[in-house]
Amino acid sequence: MTATTPQIQHADTTAKWFLLSGISYFFIVGIIALTIAAKFCWPELLGTVPYLTYGRLRPLHVNGMLFGWLLAADMGLTYYIVPRLCGVKLWSEKLGVATAVLWNIIILGAVVTLMGGYTQGLEYAELPLPIDVLVVIAWVMFGANIFGTIITRKYEQMYVSLWYIMGTILWTAFVYITGNFAVEFATGTNQANLNWMYVHNAVGLIFTPVGLAIAYYFIPRSSETPLYSHRLSMIGFWALAFVYVWTGAHHMIHGPISQWLQTIAISFSLLLLIPVWAVVYNFFATMKGQWHQLRDNVPIKFLMSGTVFYLLTCFQGPMHSLRSVNAIVSKTDWIPGHAHMALLGCFSFFAIAGSYYIVPRMWKTKLHSDALANWSFWLIMIGGLGFFVTLWLGGFWQGWQWNNPKIPFIDTVKALQPIWLVRFFSGTLIFCGIVSFAYNVMATVVGRREYVQ
Amino acid sequence: MFSKADNSATFAVIAALVLFFIGGLITTVVPPLIDKSWGRPFENHDPTKGPTGKLRPYTAQELAGRKIYTREGCWYCHTQQTRTLVSDTIRSGWKGVRSPISTPDEFVYDAPHMFGTKRTGPDLSRVGGKYDSQWHRSHLRNPRDLVPGSIMPTFPWIVNDPEALNSLIAYLQTLGRAKDWRPDKDYEK
Repeated sequence: MTATTPQIQHADTTAKWFLLSGISYFFIVGIIALTIAAKFCWPELLGTVPYLTYGRLRPLHVNGMLFGWLLAADMGLTYYIVPRLCGVKLWSEKLGVATAVLWNIIILGAVVTLMGGYTQGLEYAELPLPIDVLVVIAWVMFGANIFGTIITRKYEQMYVSLWYIMGTILWTAFVYITGNFAVEFATGTNQANLNWMYVHNAVGLIFTPVGLAIAYYFIPRSSETPLYSHRLSMIGFWALAFVYVWTGAHHMIHGPISQWLQTIAISFSLLLLIPVWAVVYNFFATMKGQWHQLRDNVPIKFLMSGTVFYLLTCFQGPMHSLRSVNAIVSKTDWIPGHAHMALLGCFSFFAIAGSYYIVPRMWKTKLHSDALANWSFWLIMIGGLGFFVTLWLGGFWQGWQWNNPKIPFIDTVKALQPIWLVRFFSGTLIFCGIVSFAYNVMATVVGRREYVQ
Repeated sequence: MFSKADNSATFAVIAALVLFFIGGLITTVVPPLIDKSWGRPFENHDPTKGPTGKLRPYTAQELAGRKIYTREGCWYCHTQQTRTLVSDTIRSGWKGVRSPISTPDEFVYDAPHMFGTKRTGPDLSRVGGKYDSQWHRSHLRNPRDLVPGSIMPTFPWIVNDPEALNSLIAYLQTLGRAKDWRPDKDYEK
């Protein structure tokens, strides 16, 4: 903030609401995650209760983590970032708090319906129609608030985070409508194609742009270093805007879908390397001469390891889409390893880093414990690596076994047992990390002492 | 040109949407218009063109079974696509006969689609007619009785409800049956 601008007092009520509910769901849904990981090792576990069967808990885990934790936390961080980048107060805190309340109603509704088995049966779009409508309403409220703030901004130039956030709001609206409403009018392959367009872009055009917006804001902020290149950040943004939406059909490589569409999806998946490397180079170049900060700056630890995971996950993605690689890894346990690196290793890391940075500032206090924050990093990091790497190894092995039809299918299941056991214990480490993160934030908020400013 | 977007939110909004819609329309709206097989039910009476048969709509009972299959999330672990991979056609096959690959015209009546993304259990695209009702009943009660080492959940609440059980089995027996692919016609009921 320059000396000429008077310091604005941000209320941040909305950001606080969203962030705290997101972190609570991170913990609660973490328990479900552990339960379904355990079911791979002990299939009889909770087996007689319909509400707790694997097929109902898995969508709850996915939707809970995506919408309950990650998107809520990302929205909370957005409500914090946007007013600061615009040099004005949030357009309407009242509307913001109402959005947060509605969001909690949606998540609780999701828990009830998914456990009850009320599902649309489409991946990432399991929530029944009435809840989808509420999501759209909440998204419009969110969008109105953010765009209202951006339109009334004081600074003419828009930092890259703002474009990514605007992109997220617009694309999400159409991606979500396609994936949750338009699919209802299609069947079979046509419906699957719309479904994959949504699933892929839920990650590519919702979590990626908002996650990058957060990283673009917090990497320079927490390291107190200016961004390396504004122009490069623009190249990354516009490449992402053009390339991502084409790639949905790569979920159906070798499947019952037109070959030409598979080829388009493969080509554009490879083009994705351009926006990804533009972004990653920019982050690394920003850190030039600042790497010593990795030693004791917890947000930077999360942000930079998140960047490495982003690079890796987005290198895997285009490679998976190649027909030869796909024939081995597709549908195997490699895929959850890949997906968790994207959503936990990268985007959740960015959101955790942002939370550690803004929570003490919003409540005008100090973080409860820096040591515990460091612990949460290493627990999630080591647990995460254990999770990703064992599933890659296991999935690759599984893929080779499937391609040898002399091996009975059940033997390929038995072979994966040790992998799933390691996954469960890695998951336990991740969960301990989540608990220490959530506890640290809650203790900061609840047990805060007023510091003289 | 894009540097304009630095200062103009309107420009950013329009450009971002235009780029999105180019790819979005070409990959979602256009394909079913070009590839008619996405919407036309499978029908073939000429053995020289591959397996014969006709896709028929689901009966009320099969639809009820399909609802149970969706409700219990069977599709999170069982894919329904025999891909264009030799190993898939062998694994979906039966008694040494390779199964035909799955084609879009076999799934025209499927909503929600059940192609799946993860194969924790075997693919079910050609399971129809492989096992009889008694086998499915025992398997749903406790998969490990029939397949030691299986990690599939038990489904007592389905097995103990005869109507639900019969619907689910009726649905499972339809899978992959539009194509009459087994030369001995030894399909179980």
